[in-house]
Amino acid sequence: MAPLKHLEKENPIIDASFRDFCASHGILTVEDFLVHDLYELAAFAQRHTNADRLKEGITLMLSFIELQCRPWLNGMELLDEMQRNKHILSTGDKGTDSLLQGGFREGQLTELVGPSSSGKTQFCLQAAASVAENHLGRVLYLDTGNSFSARRIAQFICSSSDPALGQKVMIRISCHAVYDIYTMFETLQGLEVTLRSQVRRNVNEDRLRLLVVDSVSSLITPILGGSGSQGRALMVAVGYLLKKLAHEHSIAILVTNHTVGAGGEGGKTKPALGETWKSIPHVRLMLSRDHKNSNCNISILKHTFMPSGQAVRTMTRKDNQQCI
Amino acid sequence: MEAWRLPVSSSIRGKLISAGYTSLSSISSVSSSDLARDVNITEEEAFEIMKLANQASGSNSCNGSRSLINGAKNAWDMLHEEDSLPRITTSCSDLDNILGGGISCRDVTEIGGVPGIGKTQIGIQLSVNVQIPREFGGLGGKAIYIDTEGSFMVERALQIAEACVEDMKEYTGYMHKHFKANQVEMKPKDILENIIYFRVCSYTEQIALVNHLDKFISENKDVKVVIIDSITFHFRQDFDDLAQRTRVLSEMALKFMKLAKKFSLAVVLLNQVTTKYTQGTFQLALALGDSWSHSCTNRVILYWNGDERYAYIDKSPSLPSASASYTVTSRGLRNSSSSSKRVKMM
Repeated sequence: MAPLKHLEKENPIIDASFRDFCASHGILTVEDFLVHDLYELAAFAQRHTNADRLKEGITLMLSFIELQCRPWLNGMELLDEMQRNKHILSTGDKGTDSLLQGGFREGQLTELVGPSSSGKTQFCLQAAASVAENHLGRVLYLDTGNSFSARRIAQFICSSSDPALGQKVMIRISCHAVYDIYTMFETLQGLEVTLRSQVRRNVNEDRLRLLVVDSVSSLITPILGGSGSQGRALMVAVGYLLKKLAHEHSIAILVTNHTVGAGGEGGKTKPALGETWKSIPHVRLMLSRDHKNSNCNISILKHTFMPSGQAVRTMTRKDNQQCI
Repeated sequence: MEAWRLPVSSSIRGKLISAGYTSLSSISSVSSSDLARDVNITEEEAFEIMKLANQASGSNSCNGSRSLINGAKNAWDMLHEEDSLPRITTSCSDLDNILGGGISCRDVTEIGGVPGIGKTQIGIQLSVNVQIPREFGGLGGKAIYIDTEGSFMVERALQIAEACVEDMKEYTGYMHKHFKANQVEMKPKDILENIIYFRVCSYTEQIALVNHLDKFISENKDVKVVIIDSITFHFRQDFDDLAQRTRVLSEMALKFMKLAKKFSLAVVLLNQVTTKYTQGTFQLALALGDSWSHSCTNRVILYWNGDERYAYIDKSPSLPSASASYTVTSRGLRNSSSSSKRVKMM
């Protein structure tokens, strides 16, 4: 736990005399402060010459600790906030929308799992096009495999009559390439700072509604496993950071994951990234491709309010007309 | 702004956090000698950490511009870029058609097939075709050929280069007007000179070479294609720890993606096949497992259909699934329907 002297830079109240006072009671770090009896400490402070300053210091420390905790909310406030801020975004495909009873919900992390070339990137591109077009929201696409195709997005956009409108829709979709997990952290941090400043300035039109990470598993697989659990720690950290972003700024987050062999006979597959990652996304969907008739099967592995196991069959759109 | 997100080794990170330096601002507020003393590390390590912390906190300055993060491009700009992206022709117009014009730059393309189907031929053909000058619709760039199996034959490359030069001469003969003025006569020897060849004999050499490619290509900026033949050879046998193999391969895949994007070149990986038991039957699948199959942007599978060689697009973000046939002739790769003449140059 952090020693008290690090707080001095920003808070001159916690100066050397305060620290000496604390040290005389055996308080050297923040953890000691939390464990100590504060009434007793205040009573001791009363007896010193600079009692007020010391008391101010104690109050300041307490306020830091409160800042670290999130405020309490009761169920009605939560429901209210959800109905006001966290809308449902259509995925762009009617079958999937009916399966998910509307689509993706803002504030939730949705994961798409599937073997190679089962349509995960197509699904992401279609969702991005749908959000930019129908919900007038901005989309950020973090691409790890150079698979973002602007041409394909143009094919998904339906406003074929008006090219100027099509241009406006496409401008809302931004793509950024990340190739390792530390760049990913930096990008997400920068995004957090930008979003917070937007909230402060009350910018409401064209806010970010969908964040796609395609694919999160290719960033995590190089560090997962082996000796030490650093890889797993980083994976969990990414998961929590994404969920925090989703909740604080009402964004729907879509990530893709691949499958690995489940061992045993029969060639069964399971999602990659292991048991620890399993509990991180709110919604998990499994895609599989039927190569004979190019149908795509989407089934629910995990959902917040729907039973798992439900599935729907969709066709991939083969639109070859350019709308722009 | 947490310190555990810094890209340092886990032992140093553990020491930083247990000494109380959990945020980047606390690291940047002390001097490097104090940091070294508090955390019990050397001065150079402390200096490195401070540099990283300052970089990370510097990039957190908020930008009020239209883009949400630095470096993001919007889809409208990318659409115009994508349309003007150059492609490397494979000299077989059917194959070019299903590939949307040829092998695209800025993508990692994986080509796999049974032995003898023509993977090395495609590799050699691409390393010659990338050097076609811009006046003829090519890229006018160099090629890097990384050979792990020893299957690159210089005589064959010379044969294909000679055929390419003959075709170019014939084409200028047809077009005769404006090209003659500033055309430089290409000789097969020049073509061979522009193929940079690396021979790799173990997987450590392969990893070392891939790490070195970034620096190498920034010094030789006109490299436009990197061909690895084959990516599987050193990873199939003698690898005891499969988990480590997955980690090493995924990292290598990410490096290729980064190379392709940074220098706008095409990366072509040639892969071998193995059988996989899926859906109740044994099927041919590309080697190196499920995790590796996600490490390419496009995938083309070559197979025999009766007596003819076919190529099938298995995975692509923007091209529909299709297959086309091709043949391997003495002049290189050609269409299977016509004879050895190249159908179109531009």
